[in-house]
Amino acid sequence: MFDFSEVWMWFADSTNWDGRYGLWYLLVEHLALTFGAILLAAAVALPLGTFIGHTGKGEFAVIGLSSVSRAIPTMGLLFALVLVLGVEQRDLSLIVALASIAIPPLLAGTYSGITAIPWSIRDSATAQGMTGAQRIRHVELPLATPSIVGGFRIAFIHVVSTVVLAPLVGLGGLGFGIVQGLAVRNYAQVLASSLVIIVTTVIGDQILGWLQQHSTARLNAHDIMEKK
Amino acid sequence: MDWLVANWTFVAELSLTHLGIVVVPVIIGSVIAIVGARVVPARWVPPTAGALGALYAIPSLALFVALPALIGTDFIGPTNVVIALSVYAVASMFFSAHDAFNQVPQSTKTTATALGMNRTQLFFHVELPMAIPGLITGLRVVSASTVSMASIGAVVGVRNLGYLFVDGFQRRIPEEIITGIGAVFVIALAFDFGLWVIGRALTPWRTRGDTRV
Repeated sequence: MFDFSEVWMWFADSTNWDGRYGLWYLLVEHLALTFGAILLAAAVALPLGTFIGHTGKGEFAVIGLSSVSRAIPTMGLLFALVLVLGVEQRDLSLIVALASIAIPPLLAGTYSGITAIPWSIRDSATAQGMTGAQRIRHVELPLATPSIVGGFRIAFIHVVSTVVLAPLVGLGGLGFGIVQGLAVRNYAQVLASSLVIIVTTVIGDQILGWLQQHSTARLNAHDIMEKK
Repeated sequence: MDWLVANWTFVAELSLTHLGIVVVPVIIGSVIAIVGARVVPARWVPPTAGALGALYAIPSLALFVALPALIGTDFIGPTNVVIALSVYAVASMFFSAHDAFNQVPQSTKTTATALGMNRTQLFFHVELPMAIPGLITGLRVVSASTVSMASIGAVVGVRNLGYLFVDGFQRRIPEEIITGIGAVFVIALAFDFGLWVIGRALTPWRTRGDTRV
């Protein structure tokens, strides 16, 4: 069994927390890369998912895309992008690779959230004189919110796990300690880094899960209306 | 394509080891998840699901390297990867298995009990067969993500298709990486198709286009 006291000693050493490759810097970098990629993906997926859900056009593409994307190895995609776009553009390659894995869950969450709304509700919005844009803004997006937040939750897990691979192409983030530690056989550093990554991911996931639960209030109100 | 033609025996060999590293966790993980979904009492399902959800959120590379310290396996080698992938398979499959069993109509189970089936018979002759479509759907998701995730094992020294990514990147051969992506994709598709065929074969009462369970 591995000696855990070495890990605590690694954590206790303040030089492992400060500086360019200290835990604080790497943590901020890790989260910045994660949110940057998710924002980029959301800019593409939310409008597209809303359009597909609203019009019902292109549903087949969403289903196909989400099953195909699961089978594509992100590490391979990242490495191929870095080689094809050039090592100087590796930040761009990373963000593009990360965004490409965040798009399918965001797209599916938005699209399925809208199509799950009963037609009776959408029809009554139209019957009240709402235009298509008003229906999207006042009916479809509010009711689809829990599903959209669920999409963000899955996207977050996928992206934050994949940012761990960034040091393999010479970029930073919390995976740095794993890659450097494996290379120099400093397993205390490897284990400490992976613990920080696990804690960060699980906390982020729990926060999004909490948001998801608390965004369901409106949907419950409509469920009650349905039953009456 | 030239790269693949020149190295196809190597790619075939890596594909075989890749298959092995995927099949074992998918089987172990789904058996545990299916049994678990049936054994865990209803009021324990939400906390179990929460715990498994947290497990599923752990990045794979982090789990590969954390396992040796947690359970005492060697730092390098396929054992950690197989165990970690089994953990993810359980986490993902538990939800699908739980849903699949919940979709079996209560009236059907009551009828089977009224016909004199005991709990074992009810499980093997009614619940399991009727849950197959849902279980197969879950297995297709699990196998696709396991095939893709297994390649990350190459970073901790497991020789599977992920080796083509690591080696291709270090030696600056894009063709090698693209061949690896293609091979992973083909294996994932083969798994998907195989599971679909098994699903059809195990549920001969369903006709084409019939979505009833």
